[in-house]
Amino acid sequence: MSGLINGVIVRITLRATLSRRRAMLLALPAIILIGISALLTATAASSQVWPPEILGTFGFTVLLPLTALIIGTSVLGAEIEDGSIVHLLATPVRRYTVIFSKYVVATALTIAFAAIPEYLASAIATSPGSKLSIGLLVGAVAASFLYNALFIFFSATFRPGRALAFGLIYVVLWEGLLSNLVPGIALLSMGHYGLAIADAIAHDSALHAYLSTGTGIGMGLALAVLTIGLGINRLAAFTIKGDVA
Amino acid sequence: MSADTAGVQPAAVSSASGVIHDIGYRKYAGQRLGRAQIVRALAVQSLRSAFGIGRGAKAKIFPVLLFVLMCLPAVVSIAAMALHPGQGRLFSYDTYQQALRPLVLLVFVSLQAPNLVSADLRYHTLPLYFARPISRMDYPIAKLAGFTTACLAMIEIPLLILWVGTVSQVHGASAVWHETRALGPGLLYGLAWSLLLASIGLALASSTGKRVFSICAVAVPLFVTWILATVLSHIGLQTFQPAAGGEPPALASLAGLMNPFTVMNGVADWFGSGTKVFYARTGGPGPAPGPGPGGGPGPGGALHVELVNLVGHYGPLYGVMFLIMLTLAIGGLFLRYRKVGVA
Repeated sequence: MSGLINGVIVRITLRATLSRRRAMLLALPAIILIGISALLTATAASSQVWPPEILGTFGFTVLLPLTALIIGTSVLGAEIEDGSIVHLLATPVRRYTVIFSKYVVATALTIAFAAIPEYLASAIATSPGSKLSIGLLVGAVAASFLYNALFIFFSATFRPGRALAFGLIYVVLWEGLLSNLVPGIALLSMGHYGLAIADAIAHDSALHAYLSTGTGIGMGLALAVLTIGLGINRLAAFTIKGDVA
Repeated sequence: MSADTAGVQPAAVSSASGVIHDIGYRKYAGQRLGRAQIVRALAVQSLRSAFGIGRGAKAKIFPVLLFVLMCLPAVVSIAAMALHPGQGRLFSYDTYQQALRPLVLLVFVSLQAPNLVSADLRYHTLPLYFARPISRMDYPIAKLAGFTTACLAMIEIPLLILWVGTVSQVHGASAVWHETRALGPGLLYGLAWSLLLASIGLALASSTGKRVFSICAVAVPLFVTWILATVLSHIGLQTFQPAAGGEPPALASLAGLMNPFTVMNGVADWFGSGTKVFYARTGGPGPAPGPGPGGGPGPGGALHVELVNLVGHYGPLYGVMFLIMLTLAIGGLFLRYRKVGVA
Protein backbone atom coordinates (compact mmCIF):
# COMPACT_ATOMS: atom_id res chain seq x y z
CA MET A 1 0.00 0.00 0.00
CA SER A 2 2.75 2.39 0.78
CA GLY A 3 4.88 1.57 -2.22
CA LEU A 4 5.97 4.23 -4.64
CA ILE A 5 3.90 2.76 -7.43
CA ASN A 6 0.44 1.32 -7.17
CA GLY A 7 -0.40 -1.42 -9.65
CA VAL A 8 -4.11 -0.73 -9.69
CA ILE A 9 -3.64 2.95 -10.48
CA VAL A 10 -1.18 2.06 -13.21
CA ARG A 11 -3.66 -0.37 -14.72
CA ILE A 12 -6.61 2.02 -14.52
CA THR A 13 -4.60 4.89 -16.01
CA LEU A 14 -3.29 2.76 -18.83
CA ARG A 15 -6.77 1.57 -19.67
CA ALA A 16 -8.28 5.05 -19.48
CA THR A 17 -5.62 6.51 -21.77
CA LEU A 18 -5.45 3.75 -24.34
CA SER A 19 -8.92 2.29 -24.52
CA ARG A 20 -10.50 5.14 -26.46
CA ARG A 21 -10.36 5.29 -30.19
CA ARG A 22 -8.68 8.69 -30.11
CA ALA A 23 -5.60 7.01 -28.65
CA MET A 24 -4.95 5.99 -32.24
CA LEU A 25 -4.54 9.66 -33.12
CA LEU A 26 -1.59 9.82 -30.74
CA ALA A 27 0.36 7.57 -33.06
CA LEU A 28 -0.18 9.87 -36.03
CA PRO A 29 2.82 12.23 -35.61
CA ALA A 30 5.05 9.20 -35.04
CA ILE A 31 3.78 7.55 -38.21
CA ILE A 32 4.37 10.79 -40.12
CA LEU A 33 7.97 10.97 -38.87
CA ILE A 34 8.71 7.36 -39.78
CA GLY A 35 7.03 7.74 -43.17
CA ILE A 36 8.93 10.92 -44.03
CA SER A 37 12.22 9.33 -42.98
CA ALA A 38 11.54 6.32 -45.17
CA LEU A 39 10.63 8.55 -48.12
CA LEU A 40 13.70 10.73 -47.72
CA THR A 41 15.91 7.67 -47.38
CA ALA A 42 14.54 6.42 -50.66
CA THR A 43 15.09 9.70 -52.49
CA ALA A 44 18.11 11.34 -50.86
CA ALA A 45 19.97 8.45 -49.39
CA SER A 46 23.41 9.75 -50.34
CA SER A 47 23.18 12.76 -48.08
CA GLN A 48 23.83 12.58 -44.37
CA VAL A 49 22.64 16.12 -43.73
CA TRP A 50 18.94 15.61 -43.29
CA PRO A 51 18.56 12.84 -40.65
CA PRO A 52 19.74 14.88 -37.68
CA GLU A 53 17.89 17.89 -39.07
CA ILE A 54 14.44 16.32 -39.23
CA LEU A 55 14.90 13.99 -36.27
CA GLY A 56 16.26 16.74 -34.07
CA THR A 57 13.86 19.48 -35.09
CA PHE A 58 10.67 17.57 -35.76
CA GLY A 59 11.35 14.97 -33.09
CA PHE A 60 12.32 17.31 -30.27
CA THR A 61 10.08 20.28 -31.00
CA VAL A 62 6.93 18.48 -32.12
CA LEU A 63 6.79 14.73 -31.66
CA LEU A 64 8.12 14.45 -28.11
CA PRO A 65 6.63 17.57 -26.51
CA LEU A 66 3.20 17.22 -28.11
CA THR A 67 2.90 13.52 -27.28
CA ALA A 68 4.07 14.19 -23.75
CA LEU A 69 1.71 17.16 -23.48
CA ILE A 70 -1.35 15.18 -24.50
CA ILE A 71 -0.49 12.13 -22.40
CA GLY A 72 0.99 13.99 -19.44
CA THR A 73 -1.97 16.32 -19.00
CA SER A 74 -4.53 13.57 -19.48
CA VAL A 75 -3.29 10.86 -17.09
CA LEU A 76 -4.23 13.04 -14.14
CA GLY A 77 -6.32 15.68 -15.90
CA ALA A 78 -8.94 13.30 -17.27
CA GLU A 79 -9.78 12.07 -13.80
CA ILE A 80 -9.88 15.58 -12.40
CA GLU A 81 -12.14 16.65 -15.23
CA ASP A 82 -14.72 13.91 -14.88
CA GLY A 83 -14.58 14.07 -11.10
CA SER A 84 -13.49 10.51 -10.50
CA ILE A 85 -10.27 11.74 -8.87
CA VAL A 86 -12.39 12.11 -5.71
CA HIS A 87 -12.80 8.37 -5.46
CA LEU A 88 -9.11 7.83 -6.05
CA LEU A 89 -8.04 10.37 -3.44
CA ALA A 90 -10.51 8.94 -0.93
CA THR A 91 -8.69 5.60 -0.95
CA PRO A 92 -5.83 5.09 1.51
CA VAL A 93 -3.24 5.55 -1.22
CA ARG A 94 -0.63 8.18 -0.62
CA ARG A 95 -0.74 11.18 -2.88
CA TYR A 96 2.87 10.69 -3.91
CA THR A 97 2.01 7.16 -4.91
CA VAL A 98 -0.75 8.54 -7.12
CA ILE A 99 1.62 11.02 -8.75
CA PHE A 100 4.43 8.50 -9.21
CA SER A 101 2.11 5.86 -10.66
CA LYS A 102 0.66 8.36 -13.12
CA TYR A 103 4.14 9.63 -13.92
CA VAL A 104 5.44 6.17 -14.70
CA VAL A 105 2.48 5.43 -16.97
CA ALA A 106 2.75 8.76 -18.77
CA THR A 107 6.47 8.37 -19.31
CA ALA A 108 6.13 4.79 -20.53
CA LEU A 109 3.42 5.80 -23.00
CA THR A 110 5.44 8.77 -24.23
CA ILE A 111 8.41 6.50 -24.78
CA ALA A 112 6.20 4.09 -26.70
CA PHE A 113 4.51 6.74 -28.84
CA ALA A 114 7.43 9.15 -29.34
CA ALA A 115 10.86 7.94 -28.24
CA ILE A 116 10.70 4.54 -29.91
CA PRO A 117 9.29 5.94 -33.20
CA GLU A 118 12.10 8.50 -33.06
CA TYR A 119 14.58 5.64 -32.80
CA LEU A 120 12.87 3.69 -35.58
CA ALA A 121 12.93 6.72 -37.86
CA SER A 122 16.62 7.32 -37.25
CA ALA A 123 17.34 3.62 -37.68
CA ILE A 124 15.66 3.79 -41.08
CA ALA A 125 17.53 6.97 -41.96
CA THR A 126 20.95 5.77 -40.83
CA SER A 127 21.40 2.29 -39.38
CA PRO A 128 19.98 0.54 -36.31
CA GLY A 129 23.24 0.77 -34.38
CA SER A 130 24.42 4.18 -35.50
CA LYS A 131 25.57 6.73 -32.96
CA LEU A 132 22.81 9.05 -34.08
CA SER A 133 19.98 6.61 -33.52
CA ILE A 134 21.30 5.42 -30.14
CA GLY A 135 21.87 9.03 -29.08
CA LEU A 136 18.39 10.09 -30.17
CA LEU A 137 16.82 7.14 -28.37
CA VAL A 138 18.59 7.97 -25.11
CA GLY A 139 17.85 11.68 -25.50
CA ALA A 140 14.22 11.05 -26.34
CA VAL A 141 13.75 8.73 -23.36
CA ALA A 142 15.30 11.38 -21.12
CA ALA A 143 13.06 14.05 -22.64
CA SER A 144 10.01 11.84 -22.02
CA PHE A 145 10.84 11.77 -18.33
CA LEU A 146 11.41 15.52 -18.24
CA TYR A 147 8.34 16.70 -20.16
CA ASN A 148 5.97 14.44 -18.28
CA ALA A 149 7.23 15.68 -14.94
CA LEU A 150 6.41 19.21 -16.01
CA PHE A 151 3.01 18.43 -17.49
CA ILE A 152 1.88 16.33 -14.53
CA PHE A 153 2.83 19.25 -12.33
CA PHE A 154 0.68 21.50 -14.54
CA SER A 155 -2.31 19.21 -14.34
CA ALA A 156 -2.01 18.83 -10.57
CA THR A 157 -1.89 22.61 -10.23
CA PHE A 158 -4.38 23.99 -12.73
CA ARG A 159 -7.79 23.01 -13.99
CA PRO A 160 -7.57 20.59 -16.96
CA GLY A 161 -8.22 23.14 -19.73
CA ARG A 162 -5.80 25.60 -18.18
CA ALA A 163 -3.12 22.95 -17.65
CA LEU A 164 -3.28 22.11 -21.33
CA ALA A 165 -3.17 25.81 -22.21
CA PHE A 166 -0.05 26.36 -20.11
CA GLY A 167 1.51 23.25 -21.60
CA LEU A 168 0.74 24.41 -25.12
CA ILE A 169 2.17 27.86 -24.45
CA TYR A 170 5.26 26.23 -22.99
CA VAL A 171 5.74 23.90 -25.94
CA VAL A 172 4.89 26.31 -28.76
CA LEU A 173 5.94 29.72 -27.50
CA TRP A 174 8.66 28.97 -24.96
CA GLU A 175 10.40 26.10 -26.72
CA GLY A 176 9.22 26.57 -30.29
CA LEU A 177 9.63 30.33 -30.56
CA LEU A 178 11.62 31.93 -27.77
CA SER A 179 14.33 29.29 -27.31
CA ASN A 180 15.28 29.87 -30.95
CA LEU A 181 15.17 33.66 -30.77
CA VAL A 182 16.79 34.01 -27.35
CA PRO A 183 19.47 31.32 -26.90
CA GLY A 184 19.52 31.77 -23.11
CA ILE A 185 16.07 30.26 -22.89
CA ALA A 186 17.49 26.90 -23.98
CA LEU A 187 18.86 26.74 -20.45
CA LEU A 188 15.29 26.36 -19.20
CA SER A 189 13.95 24.12 -21.91
CA MET A 190 13.22 20.43 -21.43
CA GLY A 191 13.68 19.68 -25.12
CA HIS A 192 17.18 21.14 -25.11
CA TYR A 193 18.18 18.98 -22.14
CA GLY A 194 17.08 15.98 -24.16
CA LEU A 195 18.99 17.23 -27.20
CA ALA A 196 22.12 17.81 -25.12
CA ILE A 197 21.94 14.23 -23.87
CA ALA A 198 21.35 12.93 -27.40
CA ASP A 199 24.28 14.98 -28.68
CA ALA A 200 26.57 13.52 -26.02
CA ILE A 201 26.33 10.18 -27.82
CA ALA A 202 25.65 11.28 -31.40
CA HIS A 203 28.15 14.19 -31.63
CA ASP A 204 26.31 15.82 -34.50
CA SER A 205 26.25 19.57 -34.89
CA ALA A 206 23.11 19.42 -37.04
CA LEU A 207 21.13 18.47 -33.94
CA HIS A 208 21.47 22.12 -32.84
CA ALA A 209 22.18 21.18 -29.23
CA TYR A 210 23.07 24.47 -27.55
CA LEU A 211 23.71 23.05 -24.10
CA SER A 212 26.59 20.96 -22.84
CA THR A 213 25.85 17.43 -21.70
CA GLY A 214 26.60 18.22 -18.07
CA THR A 215 24.22 21.16 -18.09
CA GLY A 216 21.55 19.08 -19.78
CA ILE A 217 21.74 16.23 -17.30
CA GLY A 218 22.15 18.44 -14.25
CA MET A 219 19.45 20.97 -15.05
CA GLY A 220 17.15 18.24 -16.34
CA LEU A 221 17.45 16.16 -13.18
CA ALA A 222 17.03 19.19 -10.95
CA LEU A 223 13.94 20.43 -12.78
CA ALA A 224 12.37 16.96 -12.99
CA VAL A 225 12.79 16.45 -9.25
CA LEU A 226 11.52 19.95 -8.57
CA THR A 227 8.41 19.66 -10.75
CA ILE A 228 7.54 16.18 -9.47
CA GLY A 229 7.96 17.44 -5.91
CA LEU A 230 5.74 20.43 -6.65
CA GLY A 231 3.23 18.14 -8.32
CA ILE A 232 3.05 15.95 -5.20
CA ASN A 233 2.71 19.06 -3.10
CA ARG A 234 -0.12 20.39 -5.27
CA LEU A 235 -1.99 17.10 -5.32
CA ALA A 236 -1.58 16.82 -1.54
CA ALA A 237 -3.24 20.21 -1.25
CA PHE A 238 -5.88 19.30 -3.83
CA THR A 239 -9.37 20.28 -2.79
CA ILE A 240 -12.63 19.83 -4.60
CA LYS A 241 -13.82 23.24 -5.66
CA GLY A 242 -17.57 23.30 -5.99
CA ASP A 243 -19.07 21.26 -8.74
CA VAL A 244 -16.29 19.68 -10.73
CA ALA A 245 -17.53 19.93 -14.26
CA MET B 1 -38.43 49.17 -26.66
CA SER B 2 -40.62 48.97 -23.58
CA ALA B 3 -42.24 45.67 -22.97
CA ASP B 4 -44.87 46.82 -20.58
CA THR B 5 -47.35 48.26 -23.04
CA ALA B 6 -49.80 45.42 -22.75
CA GLY B 7 -52.22 46.54 -20.13
CA VAL B 8 -53.46 43.29 -18.79
CA GLN B 9 -55.97 43.86 -16.06
CA PRO B 10 -55.69 41.55 -13.10
CA ALA B 11 -58.88 39.61 -13.10
CA ALA B 12 -58.97 36.94 -10.48
CA VAL B 13 -61.27 34.18 -11.41
CA SER B 14 -62.90 32.75 -8.40
CA SER B 15 -64.91 29.64 -8.06
CA ALA B 16 -66.28 27.55 -5.34
CA SER B 17 -63.37 25.11 -5.15
CA GLY B 18 -60.36 27.39 -5.40
CA VAL B 19 -58.73 30.47 -6.74
CA ILE B 20 -56.38 30.88 -9.64
CA HIS B 21 -54.27 33.89 -8.89
CA ASP B 22 -53.23 36.12 -11.70
CA ILE B 23 -49.60 36.67 -10.89
CA GLY B 24 -49.15 39.17 -13.65
CA TYR B 25 -47.56 37.32 -16.54
CA ARG B 26 -47.34 39.64 -19.48
CA LYS B 27 -46.88 39.18 -23.13
CA TYR B 28 -43.91 40.76 -24.79
CA ALA B 29 -45.36 43.46 -26.93
CA GLY B 30 -42.19 45.27 -27.89
CA GLN B 31 -40.59 45.23 -31.26
CA ARG B 32 -39.29 41.80 -32.23
CA LEU B 33 -35.85 42.00 -33.77
CA GLY B 34 -35.25 39.78 -36.73
CA ARG B 35 -32.70 37.37 -37.97
CA ALA B 36 -30.05 39.95 -38.79
CA GLN B 37 -29.97 41.23 -35.24
CA ILE B 38 -29.69 37.73 -33.84
CA VAL B 39 -26.73 37.01 -36.09
CA ARG B 40 -25.14 40.31 -35.15
CA ALA B 41 -25.61 39.65 -31.44
CA LEU B 42 -24.14 36.19 -31.82
CA ALA B 43 -21.16 37.53 -33.75
CA VAL B 44 -20.50 40.24 -31.16
CA GLN B 45 -20.80 37.72 -28.36
CA SER B 46 -18.33 35.43 -30.19
CA LEU B 47 -15.88 38.30 -30.59
CA ARG B 48 -16.15 39.10 -26.90
CA SER B 49 -15.65 35.51 -25.83
CA ALA B 50 -12.56 35.24 -28.02
CA PHE B 51 -10.89 37.72 -25.70
CA GLY B 52 -12.66 36.65 -22.51
CA ILE B 53 -14.56 39.94 -22.31
CA GLY B 54 -17.56 39.57 -20.05
CA ARG B 55 -15.89 36.75 -18.14
CA GLY B 56 -13.57 36.76 -15.16
CA ALA B 57 -9.98 37.95 -15.10
CA LYS B 58 -8.67 34.41 -15.48
CA ALA B 59 -10.32 34.05 -18.87
CA LYS B 60 -8.46 37.14 -20.07
CA ILE B 61 -4.96 35.99 -19.08
CA PHE B 62 -4.11 34.09 -22.25
CA PRO B 63 -5.62 36.41 -24.88
CA VAL B 64 -4.06 39.47 -23.26
CA LEU B 65 -0.69 37.75 -22.89
CA LEU B 66 -0.74 36.68 -26.54
CA PHE B 67 -1.82 40.11 -27.71
CA VAL B 68 1.02 41.78 -25.80
CA LEU B 69 3.47 39.27 -27.26
CA MET B 70 2.13 40.04 -30.72
CA CYS B 71 2.65 43.79 -30.22
CA LEU B 72 6.20 43.35 -28.95
CA PRO B 73 7.98 43.54 -32.34
CA ALA B 74 6.09 46.75 -33.20
CA VAL B 75 7.14 48.32 -29.91
CA VAL B 76 10.74 47.17 -30.35
CA SER B 77 10.80 48.62 -33.84
CA ILE B 78 9.46 51.98 -32.66
CA ALA B 79 11.96 52.08 -29.81
CA ALA B 80 14.81 51.23 -32.17
CA MET B 81 13.78 54.01 -34.52
CA ALA B 82 13.58 56.48 -31.67
CA LEU B 83 17.03 55.54 -30.35
CA HIS B 84 18.71 55.47 -33.75
CA PRO B 85 17.33 58.20 -35.99
CA GLY B 86 17.69 57.24 -39.60
CA GLN B 87 16.99 53.61 -38.90
CA GLY B 88 14.06 52.23 -40.87
CA ARG B 89 11.23 50.03 -39.78
CA LEU B 90 12.48 46.68 -38.46
CA PHE B 91 9.50 44.63 -39.62
CA SER B 92 7.53 44.53 -42.82
CA TYR B 93 3.80 45.24 -42.75
CA ASP B 94 3.25 42.07 -44.76
CA THR B 95 5.07 39.29 -42.98
CA TYR B 96 5.63 41.15 -39.70
CA GLN B 97 7.86 38.91 -37.58
CA GLN B 98 8.20 35.69 -39.54
CA ALA B 99 8.33 33.21 -36.65
CA LEU B 100 6.31 35.09 -34.05
CA ARG B 101 3.12 35.66 -35.98
CA PRO B 102 2.36 32.01 -36.86
CA LEU B 103 3.20 30.65 -33.42
CA VAL B 104 1.35 33.28 -31.41
CA LEU B 105 -1.67 32.93 -33.67
CA LEU B 106 -1.45 29.15 -33.42
CA VAL B 107 -1.75 29.36 -29.65
CA PHE B 108 -4.43 32.04 -29.86
CA VAL B 109 -6.57 30.07 -32.29
CA SER B 110 -6.20 26.76 -30.49
CA LEU B 111 -6.99 28.22 -27.07
CA GLN B 112 -9.79 30.58 -28.07
CA ALA B 113 -11.62 28.87 -30.93
CA PRO B 114 -12.88 26.12 -28.58
CA ASN B 115 -14.30 28.83 -26.31
CA LEU B 116 -16.61 29.89 -29.12
CA VAL B 117 -17.95 26.53 -30.17
CA SER B 118 -17.29 23.71 -27.75
CA ALA B 119 -19.52 24.82 -24.86
CA ASP B 120 -22.55 25.09 -27.15
CA LEU B 121 -21.88 21.57 -28.38
CA ARG B 122 -21.18 20.14 -24.99
CA TYR B 123 -24.14 21.57 -23.12
CA HIS B 124 -26.54 21.08 -26.03
CA THR B 125 -27.47 24.74 -26.28
CA LEU B 126 -27.54 24.63 -30.07
CA PRO B 127 -31.22 23.61 -30.28
CA LEU B 128 -31.97 26.73 -28.23
CA TYR B 129 -30.29 28.91 -30.84
CA PHE B 130 -32.11 27.17 -33.63
CA ALA B 131 -35.43 27.65 -31.86
CA ARG B 132 -34.99 31.32 -32.79
CA PRO B 133 -35.76 32.61 -36.23
CA ILE B 134 -32.29 32.02 -37.65
CA SER B 135 -31.45 29.71 -40.47
CA ARG B 136 -29.16 26.75 -40.11
CA MET B 137 -26.13 28.50 -41.57
CA ASP B 138 -26.48 31.69 -39.55
CA TYR B 139 -24.82 30.17 -36.52
CA PRO B 140 -21.52 29.20 -38.19
CA ILE B 141 -21.57 32.45 -40.18
CA ALA B 142 -21.92 34.49 -37.00
CA LYS B 143 -19.20 32.49 -35.26
CA LEU B 144 -16.91 32.86 -38.25
CA ALA B 145 -17.53 36.60 -38.45
CA GLY B 146 -16.84 37.03 -34.76
CA PHE B 147 -13.68 34.95 -34.74
CA THR B 148 -12.34 36.44 -37.96
CA THR B 149 -12.69 39.86 -36.36
CA ALA B 150 -10.86 38.59 -33.29
CA CYS B 151 -7.97 37.27 -35.41
CA LEU B 152 -8.01 40.51 -37.37
CA ALA B 153 -7.54 42.42 -34.14
CA MET B 154 -4.64 40.17 -33.17
CA ILE B 155 -2.93 40.68 -36.53
CA GLU B 156 -3.71 44.23 -37.51
CA ILE B 157 -3.63 46.22 -34.28
CA PRO B 158 0.13 45.51 -33.99
CA LEU B 159 0.49 46.62 -37.62
CA LEU B 160 -1.37 49.84 -36.88
CA ILE B 161 0.80 50.43 -33.82
CA LEU B 162 3.87 49.88 -36.00
CA TRP B 163 2.49 52.28 -38.59
CA VAL B 164 1.60 55.01 -36.09
CA GLY B 165 5.01 54.68 -34.43
CA THR B 166 6.82 54.82 -37.76
CA VAL B 167 4.80 57.68 -39.21
CA SER B 168 5.32 59.79 -36.12
CA GLN B 169 9.07 59.54 -36.60
CA VAL B 170 9.49 60.07 -40.34
CA HIS B 171 9.77 63.51 -41.83
CA GLY B 172 7.85 64.85 -44.74
CA ALA B 173 4.53 64.06 -46.29
CA SER B 174 6.03 61.81 -48.92
CA ALA B 175 7.53 59.54 -46.28
CA VAL B 176 4.19 59.33 -44.51
CA TRP B 177 2.48 58.54 -47.80
CA HIS B 178 5.10 55.90 -48.52
CA GLU B 179 4.49 54.23 -45.16
CA THR B 180 0.75 54.35 -45.65
CA ARG B 181 1.00 52.80 -49.08
CA ALA B 182 3.13 50.01 -47.63
CA LEU B 183 0.58 49.46 -44.90
CA GLY B 184 -2.36 48.90 -47.26
CA PRO B 185 -1.31 45.52 -48.69
CA GLY B 186 -0.24 44.48 -45.21
CA LEU B 187 -3.74 45.04 -43.89
CA LEU B 188 -5.27 43.17 -46.81
CA TYR B 189 -2.85 40.30 -46.31
CA GLY B 190 -3.73 40.30 -42.60
CA LEU B 191 -7.38 39.93 -43.56
CA ALA B 192 -6.53 36.85 -45.63
CA TRP B 193 -4.57 35.46 -42.66
CA SER B 194 -7.41 35.94 -40.23
CA LEU B 195 -10.07 34.57 -42.56
CA LEU B 196 -8.07 31.40 -43.19
CA LEU B 197 -7.07 30.89 -39.58
CA ALA B 198 -10.50 31.60 -38.15
CA SER B 199 -12.22 29.19 -40.50
CA ILE B 200 -9.67 26.42 -39.97
CA GLY B 201 -9.66 26.99 -36.22
CA LEU B 202 -13.44 26.86 -35.91
CA ALA B 203 -13.80 23.90 -38.23
CA LEU B 204 -11.28 21.88 -36.22
CA ALA B 205 -12.50 23.11 -32.83
CA SER B 206 -16.11 22.22 -33.55
CA SER B 207 -15.15 18.59 -34.10
CA THR B 208 -15.68 17.81 -30.42
CA GLY B 209 -17.56 19.34 -27.52
CA LYS B 210 -14.88 18.66 -24.94
CA ARG B 211 -12.71 21.73 -24.56
CA VAL B 212 -9.51 19.82 -23.82
CA PHE B 213 -9.82 17.66 -26.92
CA SER B 214 -10.94 20.62 -28.92
CA ILE B 215 -7.74 22.50 -28.09
CA CYS B 216 -5.69 19.48 -29.17
CA ALA B 217 -7.72 19.11 -32.35
CA VAL B 218 -6.68 22.60 -33.41
CA ALA B 219 -3.15 22.80 -32.05
CA VAL B 220 -1.76 19.41 -33.05
CA PRO B 221 -2.41 19.51 -36.82
CA LEU B 222 -1.35 23.15 -37.12
CA PHE B 223 1.86 22.70 -35.13
CA VAL B 224 2.85 19.35 -36.64
CA THR B 225 2.42 20.49 -40.22
CA TRP B 226 4.09 23.85 -39.56
CA ILE B 227 7.30 22.35 -38.20
CA LEU B 228 7.20 19.61 -40.82
CA ALA B 229 6.85 22.11 -43.66
CA THR B 230 9.65 24.26 -42.24
CA VAL B 231 12.02 21.32 -41.74
CA LEU B 232 11.25 19.79 -45.14
CA SER B 233 11.85 22.99 -47.05
CA HIS B 234 15.10 23.44 -45.12
CA ILE B 235 16.14 19.90 -46.00
CA GLY B 236 15.12 20.53 -49.59
CA LEU B 237 17.50 23.49 -49.76
CA GLN B 238 20.33 21.51 -48.21
CA THR B 239 20.21 18.13 -49.87
CA PHE B 240 18.59 18.38 -53.26
CA GLN B 241 19.92 19.77 -56.49
CA PRO B 242 18.47 23.04 -57.67
CA ALA B 243 15.71 23.00 -60.21
CA ALA B 244 16.22 24.46 -63.66
CA GLY B 245 17.06 28.13 -63.84
CA GLY B 246 18.62 28.36 -60.40
CA GLU B 247 15.26 27.98 -58.69
CA PRO B 248 15.27 26.25 -55.31
CA PRO B 249 14.61 22.49 -55.37
CA ALA B 250 11.00 21.44 -55.75
CA LEU B 251 10.84 19.94 -52.25
CA ALA B 252 11.86 23.24 -50.70
CA SER B 253 9.27 25.13 -52.70
CA LEU B 254 6.40 22.72 -52.29
CA ALA B 255 6.77 21.65 -48.65
CA GLY B 256 4.95 24.77 -47.53
CA LEU B 257 1.71 23.71 -49.16
CA MET B 258 0.76 21.47 -46.24
CA ASN B 259 0.24 24.14 -43.60
CA PRO B 260 -1.87 27.32 -43.57
CA PHE B 261 0.92 29.46 -42.11
CA THR B 262 3.45 28.43 -44.74
CA VAL B 263 0.76 28.77 -47.39
CA MET B 264 0.30 32.36 -46.29
CA ASN B 265 4.06 32.91 -46.39
CA GLY B 266 4.06 31.39 -49.87
CA VAL B 267 1.34 33.80 -50.98
CA ALA B 268 3.48 36.69 -49.73
CA ASP B 269 6.44 35.24 -51.63
CA TRP B 270 4.30 35.02 -54.72
CA PHE B 271 3.57 38.72 -54.52
CA GLY B 272 7.25 39.34 -53.94
CA SER B 273 7.04 40.61 -50.40
CA GLY B 274 8.01 37.49 -48.51
CA THR B 275 11.24 37.06 -46.63
CA LYS B 276 13.94 35.63 -48.84
CA VAL B 277 16.08 32.69 -47.75
CA PHE B 278 19.76 32.02 -48.14
CA TYR B 279 20.44 29.37 -50.69
CA ALA B 280 23.86 27.94 -51.52
CA ARG B 281 23.60 26.90 -55.13
CA THR B 282 26.65 25.05 -56.27
CA GLY B 283 28.14 22.36 -54.09
CA GLY B 284 26.49 22.27 -50.74
CA PRO B 285 26.98 23.45 -47.20
CA GLY B 286 26.91 19.85 -46.05
CA PRO B 287 30.03 17.74 -45.64
CA ALA B 288 29.15 15.30 -48.42
CA PRO B 289 27.37 17.00 -51.29
CA GLY B 290 27.62 14.12 -53.73
CA PRO B 291 26.19 14.42 -57.22
CA GLY B 292 22.47 13.90 -56.92
CA PRO B 293 20.07 12.25 -59.30
CA GLY B 294 19.99 15.39 -61.39
CA GLY B 295 23.68 15.06 -62.21
CA GLY B 296 24.45 18.51 -60.88
CA PRO B 297 27.76 20.27 -60.84
CA GLY B 298 30.55 18.41 -59.08
CA PRO B 299 31.84 19.30 -55.64
CA GLY B 300 34.64 21.32 -57.20
CA GLY B 301 32.26 24.11 -58.29
CA ALA B 302 32.42 27.48 -56.57
CA LEU B 303 29.94 27.87 -53.77
CA HIS B 304 27.89 31.00 -54.05
CA VAL B 305 25.16 31.86 -51.65
CA GLU B 306 22.28 33.93 -52.88
CA LEU B 307 18.96 35.12 -51.59
CA VAL B 308 16.04 33.45 -53.28
CA ASN B 309 12.30 33.35 -53.04
CA LEU B 310 11.54 30.08 -51.33
CA VAL B 311 8.49 29.28 -53.45
CA GLY B 312 10.34 29.75 -56.75
CA HIS B 313 7.89 29.72 -59.61
CA TYR B 314 5.28 27.79 -57.65
CA GLY B 315 3.75 31.03 -56.32
CA PRO B 316 0.35 30.70 -58.03
CA LEU B 317 0.06 27.21 -56.53
CA TYR B 318 0.12 28.82 -53.10
CA GLY B 319 -2.69 31.14 -54.10
CA VAL B 320 -4.72 28.14 -55.24
CA MET B 321 -3.90 26.25 -52.05
CA PHE B 322 -5.08 29.23 -50.00
CA LEU B 323 -8.45 29.09 -51.77
CA ILE B 324 -8.67 25.31 -51.40
CA MET B 325 -7.92 25.43 -47.67
CA LEU B 326 -10.38 28.27 -47.15
CA THR B 327 -13.12 26.47 -49.06
CA LEU B 328 -12.51 23.20 -47.25
CA ALA B 329 -12.49 24.84 -43.82
CA ILE B 330 -15.62 26.94 -44.36
CA GLY B 331 -17.36 24.04 -46.08
CA GLY B 332 -16.42 21.71 -43.24
CA LEU B 333 -17.67 24.19 -40.68
CA PHE B 334 -21.00 24.57 -42.46
CA LEU B 335 -21.40 20.82 -42.90
CA ARG B 336 -20.79 20.38 -39.19
CA TYR B 337 -23.75 22.55 -38.33
CA ARG B 338 -26.17 21.14 -40.87
CA LYS B 339 -27.89 18.98 -38.28
CA VAL B 340 -29.42 20.60 -35.25
CA GLY B 341 -28.87 17.76 -32.87
CA VAL B 342 -25.13 18.28 -33.27
CA ALA B 343 -23.16 16.10 -30.87
